[in-house]
Order: sequence, then C-alpha cells, then structure tokens
Amino acid sequence: MESSVPLGGYLAVGLMMFIVGVVGVVIRRNPIVIFMCIELMLNAVNLTLLAFAKYGPIVKGADPTQTAMAGQMMVIFVMAVAAAEVAVGLGIIMAIYRLRHTIDVDEMSVMRG
Amino acid sequence: MEAAKNLIWLVLFLPVVGSLIQALIGGRVLKQLGPKKGKGLMGLLAVTPIAIAFGIGAYLTMQLSQAEPSSRHAVATLFSWIDFSSISIPFEVIIDPLSMTMVLIITGIGSLIHLYATGYMAEEKEYPRFFTYLNLFIAAMLILVLGNNLALMFIGWEGVGVCSYLLIGFWYKDVVNAKAANKAFIVNRIGDWGLTLGMFLLASFFLANIGKMQVAAGETRWLSYDVLLPNAVTLLQSNPGIATAIALLFFVGACGKSAQFPLYFWLPDAMAGPTPVSALIHAATMVTSGVVMLNRLHVLFELSPVASAVIAMVGAFTALFAAAIAFGQTDIKKVLAYSTVSQLGFMFIGCGAGGYWTGMFHVTTHAFFKALLFLGSGAVIYAMAHNQDMRNYGNLRKYLPITFATMFIGFLAIAGVPGLAGFFSKEAILGYALGNHHAQAGGYNLGVVAGWTGLVVAAMTACYMTRMTWLTFFGPERWRAIPEAAHHDHHEEHVEHHAHADHGPDEHGFFMTEDELHAQPHEHEHHHDLDASHAPKEVPPSMYVPLVVLAALSLFGGYLLHNNEMLEKWLYPTGLPVLTELEKHPHGLPLMALSIGAASLGLAIGLFMYWKGLPASEGWDLTKWAPWRRAAANQFGYDDAMVSSAVEGGDQIATALWKRVDVGIVDRIVNGLGGLANGVGRGLSWFQTGQVRGYALMMLAGVALLLGYVAFKMKARETEPMEHVEMTQEVARR
Amino acid sequence: MPEWVDGKTILFAMLAGLAGATAIGVVAFGNAVRSALCLVLNFFTLALLYFTLDAEMLGVTQVIVYTGAIMVLFLFVIMLLNLGSPAALEERPDYIKKALGFMFGGALFGVVASQVVRPFIETKQVFAPDNYGAPQGMGKALFTTYVWPFEMASILLVIGIVGSILLAKRRV
Repeated sequence: MESSVPLGGYLAVGLMMFIVGVVGVVIRRNPIVIFMCIELMLNAVNLTLLAFAKYGPIVKGADPTQTAMAGQMMVIFVMAVAAAEVAVGLGIIMAIYRLRHTIDVDEMSVMRG
Repeated sequence: MEAAKNLIWLVLFLPVVGSLIQALIGGRVLKQLGPKKGKGLMGLLAVTPIAIAFGIGAYLTMQLSQAEPSSRHAVATLFSWIDFSSISIPFEVIIDPLSMTMVLIITGIGSLIHLYATGYMAEEKEYPRFFTYLNLFIAAMLILVLGNNLALMFIGWEGVGVCSYLLIGFWYKDVVNAKAANKAFIVNRIGDWGLTLGMFLLASFFLANIGKMQVAAGETRWLSYDVLLPNAVTLLQSNPGIATAIALLFFVGACGKSAQFPLYFWLPDAMAGPTPVSALIHAATMVTSGVVMLNRLHVLFELSPVASAVIAMVGAFTALFAAAIAFGQTDIKKVLAYSTVSQLGFMFIGCGAGGYWTGMFHVTTHAFFKALLFLGSGAVIYAMAHNQDMRNYGNLRKYLPITFATMFIGFLAIAGVPGLAGFFSKEAILGYALGNHHAQAGGYNLGVVAGWTGLVVAAMTACYMTRMTWLTFFGPERWRAIPEAAHHDHHEEHVEHHAHADHGPDEHGFFMTEDELHAQPHEHEHHHDLDASHAPKEVPPSMYVPLVVLAALSLFGGYLLHNNEMLEKWLYPTGLPVLTELEKHPHGLPLMALSIGAASLGLAIGLFMYWKGLPASEGWDLTKWAPWRRAAANQFGYDDAMVSSAVEGGDQIATALWKRVDVGIVDRIVNGLGGLANGVGRGLSWFQTGQVRGYALMMLAGVALLLGYVAFKMKARETEPMEHVEMTQEVARR
Repeated sequence: MPEWVDGKTILFAMLAGLAGATAIGVVAFGNAVRSALCLVLNFFTLALLYFTLDAEMLGVTQVIVYTGAIMVLFLFVIMLLNLGSPAALEERPDYIKKALGFMFGGALFGVVASQVVRPFIETKQVFAPDNYGAPQGMGKALFTTYVWPFEMASILLVIGIVGSILLAKRRV
C-alpha cells in the first residue's frame, strides 16, 4: 500500500517544530514559554515516531506490526512523562515565584560556578 | 627425651604468664594490699615463674644428658604458624644442648636477678611495670634461643630488643634515659637490618636450590634448623661467596645485639636503666645472643674463613678498644659496661677462630661473674645513695663485707686468676685463636693476630678491674671529703647535659622540656644526696643471696665446665661438620704461662697504681688527667662522632631531602597538578554561568557540531570505494 | 497540476503549514497568553496530523491530554502569576544569544534535514497494518508486552503529582 504523502513530509514538519522549540528555549526568558517550547520539542518527536510507525520498519527484517505498535507505545509514554514533567515544572516555577517574586530565568543564576 | 619434651612449653610460657600477671593485676594488688605487702606478693609472683622454669629446664637438661650424644635433639611443635604449599614455618622449639644451656643461663641467672630486683626496686612506685618487662624479656630471650627456625629466632631477637628498649627507658621521664633507650633501639635496628638481609639471602638461596636438598618427602620446613643446617654444608660448600655474604650479614646482626665495634656504643648508654636490668640484659643474656646465633648457625661460619677472620678481628679490636675506654671511666657501671663489651669481643675471637664452644663457654662464665659484678655494683650504688662515681667511694669493704667478698671473687674471675671461671674460658679462647688457622683472609692468619690482641686485652682487663675494685673497696673513705670542685663539676655536667638535651627533639614536644622535667616528681630519686656524714649499710638478704650464689658459680663453674672437656663434649659431642681438625692449644707456646703472666702483669700494675687509693692524676680535676685517659673517658671521640654524624648528618640529609626533593620536586609536582586542575576548573567555571538559556545554547551548539561531524564522516565514507561490499556480494552469489 | 497533488497531500500541506506557523507563533509572541494559545492550536493541528497517519487513538489522546489538560495547566499558572500583562515580564534584547541560537538552530536543521529527511523524501510505502491505530490493538499491547513500562509510568505520574503538590502548596 502506498500513501500519496511521503514520509519525508512528516519528518520535515517534526524537524521544523523541533528546531523552533530549540531556538525558543535559547532565546526566550520566560520559563513558561520555555516549558512550552519543550512541549513543542516533545510533540515533534511524537510526530516523528508516529510517522515511522506508519511508514514501516527502517531496519530490514523487523516485523512491521510490532514496529507500528512500538512507535505508538513510545508516544504514550512520552505523553505520560510530559504530563508529569509539566506538573512538577510548573510547581517549581510557582515555588520560585513565591520566593523571589520574579520568574526571569536570567535572574536565576544561583548555581553559577 | 621425646616423652618429656613437651615440658619445654612450660619453660617458655611461665615467664609469659608471669608477665601477664604483673601487667594485669599488679596495679590492683598494690592498691589493695598497700605498697609494702603488695610489692612482696608481686615480687614473689615475679620470681616464682622464672624459678620454676629453671627447675623444669634443669630436669629437661638432665633427661637430655642421659640420652645418647648423637640423639640429644628433639623438636616440639605447638602449632602451624605460617603454612604455604611451598614453605611452612611451624611454631616449634628445639631441645638440644645449646638451647638447654642457654635456657639454664637465662632462667637461672634470670631468677637470681629477679630475686635481687625485688630488693633493689623496693622503693620503686611502678614495681609491677618493671617486672612485667623483666618477665617479658625472659620470655623473648627464651624464644630466641629455643626457636627451631630463623623466623622464631627473629621474633625473639626483636622481642629482646623491645624489652631492652622498655627497660633502659624504664625511668622514661628523664630525657637522658629516654635518649639512651632510643639509642639502643636504633643502633640495634642497624644490626637487625643485617640479620634480616642475611635471613632473606639464606632463605632465597635455599629456596632456589630446593631440588638439591636432601630431605624427607613432604618436608617443607625449609627455615627450620634441623632441615636447613645439614643441607647447608653440601649446598654452600660449592658457593663460598654466598656463604661469606650470608655469614657476614648474620654477623652484622650479631654486632648489633652483642655490641661489637661499629655498633657497640649503645651498650654503655644502656646503663641508664635500673641496675638489675644492666646485669640481666646487658651483661648476662641479651648481649650474648649474637654468640648464641653464631653457635647455632656455626656451619655457615665454618664454611667461610673470610667471615671468620672478620669476626675474629672485629672481636679483637672491640676487646682492645673497650678495654682502653674502661680506663677512662669513673662511673662504676660504665667500667663494667665497657668490660662487658670487651669480654664480648673475646667471645667473638673464639668463635671466629672456629672454637664455637669456647664462645659459649665464655658466655656462661661471663654470665656468672658479670652478673655478679653488676649486682655487686648495684649493691654498692644502693649503699652509696645512688652515687655511681668511683671517685666518691673507698674503703667500702668495711661497710659492705658480703658485697665486698662476692665482688672480689667476681673481680678475680674476670681478671683471669687461675682456678676461677674467667681463666678457663679465656684460656680456651686464646688457645683456639693462637693454635688454628681457620680465620684467614688474603692468606693472613688473622686468628693469631686476634689471639695475641686478646692476650694483651687480658692484661688490660686485670688492670682496670683492679682499678675498679681498689677504688671502691680500699683506700680512704673519699666521700667524707668530697672537694667543693667535685660538686661544682658534677653540677656543671648535669646542667650541660640538660642544655644539650634541649637541642634535641624536645623542641618538637617529643621529650619534656627542662622545666617540665624538674616539675616531674622523681619517685625513684627520693634518696638523700651523698655527703660527708653518709654511712653505707649492707644490703638486704634478697640482694646478697644472689651475690653469694653467683660468687660460688664464679668460683667453681669454670673448673666444673672445663674439667674433662665437659662443656665441649656437651655442646659439640660429634665435633664440627666442616672444621674437623681444630687445635685446642698452640704448638710451642706455653699458653697457660702466657695467660697467667698477662693476668699477673695487669694485676701488678693495677695494684701498684691504686694501692693507695685514688691517684691525683685521676681525681676530680680533669686537667690533671693524662691526655690518653681523657680521650678514653670520651670513648676516643667515637661515640660523639657517631652520634653527631648520625643525628646531625641525618638531620642534614633529611633537611636536604625535605627542601630539595620534597618541597622542590614532589610538592611542586603535586601543587602543580592541583594548580592545573584548579586553573582548568576556574577557566571552565566561566561557562557555568548559572543561566539556563546559556546551557541550552551550549547543548544546541554541541548537538549541532557533533551531528555535523558525524554526517561529514559518513559522507566521507560513502565516497570510499565499495570494494568490500562487492566482494561480499560475490561471495554470497556463490 | 502534478500527479502527486491530491486531496490528501493538500490536507497535509495545510496542516503542516499551520503546525509550523503556530510553532513559530509560540516562540515569537512576547505575551505568554498568546504563546499558550498558539501552542493549543499547534497541539490541535498535531492531533489532526495524527489522524492523517491513521493513529486515531493517539490523536484523540493528544486532544484530551495536551490540548485539554496540559494547556489548561499552563493557562492557570499564567493567570496565577499574573503574567498576562506585557509589563510583567519584559523581554530585554539579547542579540548575541538570539544570533547564536538562530545560527546553531539553522545548522542543526540543515544537518538533520540533509541526513534524515532527505533520504525519505520519496518514501511512500506504508508497512503498518490498516487498523494499527485502533484502541483494541494498543490496549492489548499496553497490558501485555508493555505492562512494565506502563506500571513504571503510573508510578512516575504519582510521584509527579505528589511532588507538584508539595512544591506548589503554601507553607502553613
């Protein structure tokens, strides 16, 4: 079976989102936006995983059914981890804000060497 | 013999038990019973184990002497101590004439000296500590002589070294004593260095030639004497160089423990310990361990004429040197100490000449009369308010009749008067030295040189012992009129000593400073000073009974042991394995006349000089002394040279090492490495901005660069010719 | 009109463009609320993309978990911290970081695009079975082959909940 949309298209979208997320982490100072960028990156990876799940095993000899299921499972776990991460991360941001009344990441340099 | 041999463990462990009793309950008993009763009980508990051990030793010796001469040998094993597949060293003792002779000397003389010490140390506060050490010393010495292998001998060897250190420094609160103890310990280490090297060389040589050894199947006790020594003859005979090296290394050990020339100078200082210690350790037993070792390992020395020549010459020189120094000493114990060194030299002359049993003979007789003389001098010192300067004595025969009588016998014995102990043993030594040519080096018969030197020393011995006896027991009562200069002089010396001590390690808090020393309560010195009104009193029975017994031994012991060649046949019933044809007397020399003549000459000169008491040329005024005597008083500068070169030279070497090597190189490397890490860390910490975005940027840069590098590499590989792929395809096609 | 242009590709192109645009919007908007809304849109677009990949189950999950739960959490925090007003967190210009970020981001994009995306630009063969995104198969796999990771994920979530409560609650 053939799809009219190539695998490269999905990969390109995922890559695009990932790079935007990476650049956002570097250039933004608002930790909530940084978190959003991290979510962007995670979702880009999810998209890539699903694309590979559908377009079959790259490794020769692997079972396509298992590959498809493995990609989806990975996406589920990424979602679970992302949920936990967001919960804890936003909690940390709240705690920091309460302590210092600012959430500018550039002000948070206590760990400076 | 086999049936009774396990009794030997009682001999060995009774002193250990005694020591433990003293150490564990001594203090409590003294507190419970009060000092007087407590000391009585603890004294009894100290003497009894040694006396019982002596009794058992005597019984075992009787059993041994009833056996056939060739089968007087038994080995008792207690447990397997070190056991590998290739070598096993059990905890085993040997019962043979040599070891039993030493057991009798150690426990016999030891119990007498213990008895004496109960009286001598009666005023000592730390009474149990003293007897703990003393019993422990007996135990260590017994291990040394009884051990059936080199490892056990080494334990005993080090054990007596430790006990000697503890006992010399018994009154450790005094810097002088602590220094003397340190000196003895350190000088003994030099000897132990030689001993250990000799043991290693011997062991490695034998282990390398294990195949050539004739032993019973399954025998792995390579270091045990009954395995080692019979094979030594066959193995070492073809390797005279190794035999000489081993023998000389062992002799270095003997030099340390037996106070021979390069390493003798700890022994006179060791007189800082209590007098019973001087008598027990530094006259009767410990210093003889070198001679015992020479006898035990005589095979090695028989095989090496060069080493024997060295031994004889070192012994001769030590005897001469120490006898000369004795002329310059005014301290009664120092005189005896140097005479000990000198007599030890005699023993080594005998051993070097091949007459090993004569060395043991002199060990035995010397143990009798030197213990007697030391204990007698202790009695004199005790009676003279702990003043040890012979210039303050005189006419003491009136006040100390028993001490005088016994000590006079000892004096006659050491002087070599015919019929007494010392005469026989010295004559035997000189006979072997003059009559044989075993001790050869480079074609010269050095044994004969040593023998003639010994004859001269015999005359000197008689002379300086006369000096000591006459200054102590005859002449006017000089303490009645001690010149003011003497007090002054004495005081100066004292202060000078302490001032000197201040330069020592006490700056670093190792010893107490002078002030602290004066602040210390001197329990052992609560006697009054010697002054004109002093009235010497005879010592208590516990002190003169040992003197009487030892005097009897000094009178008759020599004759009994010499009669019918008793000791020789007892120690070496089958003769020596290598030196089978030794002469006992030189041909064409009237040895008896010569030795009597030497003794008479020495006695005559001594009597002539000291008949009227202290000559003015040896009085308190050191400037009137003859130059050679002043030099002798100073040990001809040897001790100062050794100590200053060792201490100051060591200090300089250590300082140089510290400044150049340690600070200059090691510290610089270590600090340089530390500084490098520090600098790198400091440089890298610039990246540690604490800003999350910076880190993210760096991660991004890193990922981009790394992936770019990998991609570049992969691209480079793609352009490579793909020959190997085609090859595998072809292989697959077939 | 080229032959590869059909309904599916047009749909995909629209969704892809929307996803890219909203992603850029998340980063580009100075206001956190606008960023968050862009992210919501982005996640929704992603869910649609999952549907085009026949992963219906995950598409639904994406809408519920991300668009529903996680984004609500984000908006709550933004509200709580009162970051809605632009003055609350003024972005100061930081040209060096921006330049470096764009540079390395571009470099990474170039590398990955040339190495990973380009080889698959013509790959159209689908290997996965037709109904691979159906809940039955996923549930079976989740409770058989992947039961241990599943349990681990549940523990992780519990820890995350407890941790966030501890962090966020006021000291009493």
